Amino acid sequence: MPILALDTATMVSSVALADEKKIMAELTLQTKLTHSETLMPHVQQIMEMADVKREDLEAIAVSIGPGSFTGLRIGLAAAKTMAYAFNIPLIGVSTMEALAWHYPVPNVNIVPLIDAQKGNVYSAVYRWNNEKEAMEEIEEVAVYGFDEIIEKLGNSNETCILLGDMAVKKALPKKAKGELPANVMVAPIHTIMPRAATVAVAGLKKLANNEIGSVMDMEPIYIRRSEAEDLWEKRQAKLKAEAEKNA
Amino acid sequence: MDKENIITLAIESSCDETSAAVLRGGRQVLSNIISTQIPIHQKFGGVVPEIASRKHIVNIMPVIDEALRKAEIELKDINQVAVTYGPGLVGALLVGVSAAKSLAFSLDVPLIGVNHLEGHIFANFLSNPDLKPPFMALVVSGGHTSLVHVKDYNNFSLMGQTRDDAAGEAFDKVARVMGLPYPGGPQIDKLAKEGNPHAIDFPKALQDKGNYEFSFSGLKSAVLNYLNSMKLKGIEINKADVAASFQNTVIEVLIGKALDAVAETKCDTLVLAGGVAANSSLEARLRAAAEKKGINFCYPDKILCTDNAAMIGCRGYYQSLAGKKSDLYLNAVPSLALQDVE
Repeated sequence: MPILALDTATMVSSVALADEKKIMAELTLQTKLTHSETLMPHVQQIMEMADVKREDLEAIAVSIGPGSFTGLRIGLAAAKTMAYAFNIPLIGVSTMEALAWHYPVPNVNIVPLIDAQKGNVYSAVYRWNNEKEAMEEIEEVAVYGFDEIIEKLGNSNETCILLGDMAVKKALPKKAKGELPANVMVAPIHTIMPRAATVAVAGLKKLANNEIGSVMDMEPIYIRRSEAEDLWEKRQAKLKAEAEKNA
Repeated sequence: MDKENIITLAIESSCDETSAAVLRGGRQVLSNIISTQIPIHQKFGGVVPEIASRKHIVNIMPVIDEALRKAEIELKDINQVAVTYGPGLVGALLVGVSAAKSLAFSLDVPLIGVNHLEGHIFANFLSNPDLKPPFMALVVSGGHTSLVHVKDYNNFSLMGQTRDDAAGEAFDKVARVMGLPYPGGPQIDKLAKEGNPHAIDFPKALQDKGNYEFSFSGLKSAVLNYLNSMKLKGIEINKADVAASFQNTVIEVLIGKALDAVAETKCDTLVLAGGVAANSSLEARLRAAAEKKGINFCYPDKILCTDNAAMIGCRGYYQSLAGKKSDLYLNAVPSLALQDVE
């Protein structure tokens, strides 16, 4: 029975149908149309093309971030509603883990770089565990300056491969100028951006392990808070400091 | 299928309320679940768009689930899905739009994109079972003030709308400057009850006969200037008088234009719509002014004045009877306006 996978975390819109044996269909587009417009038409189209009926779906897997806040919510709202309507499991897959599944090979540090705005990146480090056939997060996701993460990887003495939208936007130009450390590579264009096929593969693994999410409560992985909350907290800290000074 | 038995599931997420409703036919509300975020945004003094969107994605499924349970309707009974696609906050709208599209696809039923402001007008059909077009609608909400001639269920003519600040915006800004908590509208309404509405003479804009446009930014500035000059002079202000005089000015403008529009179009009914319709003085005075002229007046129940999905379901129902449906490419339109519909 196939699962449907969605990825709208970046400017790529990708939907796929897969089971344990094969990727039955995948539609991946990077165009100017918004996810809001294209996501559901794409779902409808690949299900028709692959001749999969609504009642045949076994689960919905969705890329839940980090990434574009709005993009993540479009994907998650659609995924939750389908899982609810079909009464099937909902599986949340980290956008970074899904990207790392492009490289299930040992002895490489797989490093997704996702746009965190203002020149910052969300990054984590994954490694393939060949015995367990598992993609393991060996450094958990955090926000870095772009140059900061490149310097850190350069000093690691591990072979690193960069993926994600910030690898496209920032690492490729750096590579063209010959400024990347020798141990740091950049993925080619067919694996550098998210694709729903890897969301499906990671999702199938989670389904087999019974790592099911909550249709009612699942949230995207934002990492960052909203700016209003940061500003409010700063203002409160300032007010508190002033009050203490005056006391 | 008998149109009186059509089941519509409606979703609304344009601002700081997540709502889902189930309607049987156009006017029977089986459920109308509203999850408000007002307490969350209060400390910021206004709605924070990103926080609103984050709450919508958490609230959306429980709200839909509750709406179905309360209506005692199963998914397979739903005949169509209606959703607000604008105007509103884009990130907030997109949660509802995405969920509605996905649900319509999953259930293989039609999708109907609804203009939130038309929804506010249609809230009147839910509270007033005998109401039928034609009538004049005065729409007064946080971001919009307009007069719409509703000739038929799917035939509207826009008489005029706000050029700058909407009435609701002016209420919120004046309340903020006076140090009243968010949302400001109800606070001003409450305070105004203790004040003298004729204490201060504030200006009215666009008062020529036959001009149905609104402008409240001049009034807002006049109130702010008044507060500042009193402060500079060291004169203590009577907040209740300011609130009462400001509110009185807004209400007189709204009543004047609404009654003129009714007279010009020879309607016999005036309806009030939108969040500010919950303002008790506006409702009472508009009713009195209309009744004095022999005009029927109605407005929605308080809960239907706020942002809610039942009104979206009602509008969606009448749209779908006229074949005005959407496809799965429907997108959110944050600046969607009220306009002529034929």
